Amino acid sequence: MTKRTKGDRLLDIFVYLFLIVLGVMMLLPLVNVLSKSVSEEWAITSGKVGILPVGFQLDTLREVISSSMFIRAFCVSVGVTVVGTLISILMTALTAYPLSKRNLPGISFFMVLFIFTMLFSGGLIPNYLLMRQLHLINNLWVLILPGMISVFNMLVIKSYYESLPEALEESARIDGAKTYTILFRIILPLSMPVIATIALFYAVGYWNDYFGPMIYINDTALKTLQLYLQDVVMDASAANAVNKSVDDLMNMSPEGIRAATVVASTVPILFVYPFLQKYFIKGVLIGSVKG
Amino acid sequence: MKQTKWLSLLLSTGLLLAATACGSSNNTNSNGENASTAAPASAEATAAPGTSENAAKPELKSLNLWSKDDYNTYPLAKVIEERTGYKVKYEMLPADKAMDKLNLLISSAEPYDVITISGEKAVYTDYAKMGALVDLTPLIEEFGDNIKASISQASFDAMKIDGKIYGIPNSSSQFAGADLMIRQDWLDKLGLKTPTTLEEFTEVLKAFKEKDPGGTGNSGAPMSIDGALATTANITGAFGIGTSWNTVDGQLVPAPLHPGFKEYLTYMSDLYKQGLLDKEFAVNKDATLKEKFTSGKIGVIQLPWYDIPGIADALTKNFPDAKYAYLPALKGKDGQMGLGMSGGFDRITFIPKSAKHPEDAIKWINAKLEKETFKLIAIGEEGKHHTYKDGVYSPILPLFTDERGNASNYLTGIDEKLYPIYWQARVQKDARLFAGFSYLNNELPAEARIADPLALAPSLPEYSKNNASLNQMINDFAVKVIVGEESPDAVADFAGKYKAAGGEASTKEVNDWYATVKK
Repeated sequence: MTKRTKGDRLLDIFVYLFLIVLGVMMLLPLVNVLSKSVSEEWAITSGKVGILPVGFQLDTLREVISSSMFIRAFCVSVGVTVVGTLISILMTALTAYPLSKRNLPGISFFMVLFIFTMLFSGGLIPNYLLMRQLHLINNLWVLILPGMISVFNMLVIKSYYESLPEALEESARIDGAKTYTILFRIILPLSMPVIATIALFYAVGYWNDYFGPMIYINDTALKTLQLYLQDVVMDASAANAVNKSVDDLMNMSPEGIRAATVVASTVPILFVYPFLQKYFIKGVLIGSVKG
Repeated sequence: MKQTKWLSLLLSTGLLLAATACGSSNNTNSNGENASTAAPASAEATAAPGTSENAAKPELKSLNLWSKDDYNTYPLAKVIEERTGYKVKYEMLPADKAMDKLNLLISSAEPYDVITISGEKAVYTDYAKMGALVDLTPLIEEFGDNIKASISQASFDAMKIDGKIYGIPNSSSQFAGADLMIRQDWLDKLGLKTPTTLEEFTEVLKAFKEKDPGGTGNSGAPMSIDGALATTANITGAFGIGTSWNTVDGQLVPAPLHPGFKEYLTYMSDLYKQGLLDKEFAVNKDATLKEKFTSGKIGVIQLPWYDIPGIADALTKNFPDAKYAYLPALKGKDGQMGLGMSGGFDRITFIPKSAKHPEDAIKWINAKLEKETFKLIAIGEEGKHHTYKDGVYSPILPLFTDERGNASNYLTGIDEKLYPIYWQARVQKDARLFAGFSYLNNELPAEARIADPLALAPSLPEYSKNNASLNQMINDFAVKVIVGEESPDAVADFAGKYKAAGGEASTKEVNDWYATVKK
């Protein structure tokens, strides 16, 4: 390693300071919501809650978590995320494999088909009508099946496959391996870093998806957590208050409940991150040693 | 190879963790999912034998506004099912952009039997004109004895579109909603009396500024308002513009064309100049306003009575000795005064053309309006949910809130004579809230309240098309004048713009209608 000059170190300090300040700035609103969720309502109304909670209590959070609508929405979301991610990652990896073989006949035609869907879509109403014809309205599969393969993610995996040395497959073939064995025993294990990354993309995408459920799900029992959260938060917005009757206004959730709902629906996916991320970093290291 | 094995192990444990993270709930979910995939089929399957066994009572599908409780599991659903004999599956619109979603559902002809939306007539009118709704006139004639007995002709008239009734309204109770709230303890501290005229009010604000009874230093202001509500309740009344439309020589005149508008703006901008009105009011949101008031920085704010409990909690926590009170309607220089009242409709219920059981839907609505059933839905059982004494219904807490707090969401049409009386039980669920409501609506003399002349107007297409944007225009202009960016003399110019932006067409339409009912 070359010796670092004073100027280098000064720059380092400056960069770190800048990043820390930036990080804190992004964290503060989250901390504020977290504090609100455990503060007493009167303190929130009078604007006393900043970074630290005032009048610490857990009743609001308990009320939110024990609400039947919340529990149901939470489980729907977890189910859709887990099932959806598994299906999506499998199908994406399977689709990418043949497309990475440039010498297969007609491969460019299929590529064009895939790329076409990236650029053009039917629009909202035709899509809705299609889903209705397929009996997918008010059915949780509607959140998974139409967007099962993201072409973009598929292309990422495809180019990773292409970067793997051809010789590996050839040697496996000499050892008597067939296509599926090669894919599942050689290619996929070698591609774990990219698979983990894409799995994280899918998981977060499924968890955060709010537009799909809003359009296709009407049944209260099938609403996802993001939809529930959106409802609770938007219910109090000024634009939606205009047409409310007094009874609705009297029944409106106080700010504390809203903050607690945000916290309760954000924290679970935050716990997933470190698990996947840790694994993802390890994957990259292993991959680099092998490469 | 060893490492990759280890890797896949890690992956599978990761997934396993994700799966078990929701432990039992994941189980219930996979069940739920199975159920849901099978739902379309099984729903039809159960519906079919249901109809053959009990041909008269199919399951109805009802679409409602968003509520924080699930309509299907809230105790009232069961009560209604028992009383009417109809099993109902409730679904709800999202809280945000509800009308966009409704448009999607209506245009794709989803088979809802009953749809209940907010009382804003524009949406209802659109659907009726598009031919998306079932004409209820003959159905009500045939199956709707209770409906006819409960809902007044005036309300039905307001629902009529091209002479036909397409909707059943829940008319709102008419009451004054908001007033200026003052820190009574500040008044007491300075030995001032509650102001009754605008002049006295100005004096009180001046005293608040000079003597600073709250000890705010320079951080507060005597009075503040919400930047989105620059036409302040009570003060507007003193200039004769207590509601958005006021009568001048037998004609209804919107605020910008009313002579009082300029005087009002002059008065407010004067307060602003003297530092009596919060310098930052233009950026105040509802929450900021409450924050400032409850942290003792502001002496007077505009506040609706249904917000009192939250404010009272926070204020007394911060200042145990604090007292608050509503101001009476302040008199202007020629004795004008008044608090604007709300009116119109809370909800409108209609039956879309795509409904599978329109007749049963009307029968269901009719059954809910049967006298005893309606009372049971609205305020529950006597002795269990409410008590009755001297003509007043009082709630029994907490059961009333738990089992009837959401009752208004289930009402499809109301008994217009009795419901306003039942409804007051709802207001009584908090003593402070009721005190505020009662002061504005029972204690203040009747002439202190100005009814909304458009409350029962039929659907007025020009008016509903332009109303929201015109109101926004008025507010923006009012804020500009009050902060001194424009002079009050600009009102004449503004009136021209207002007319051009649809104000003239609205005024003409409103008055054409008004001429027919006035007589």
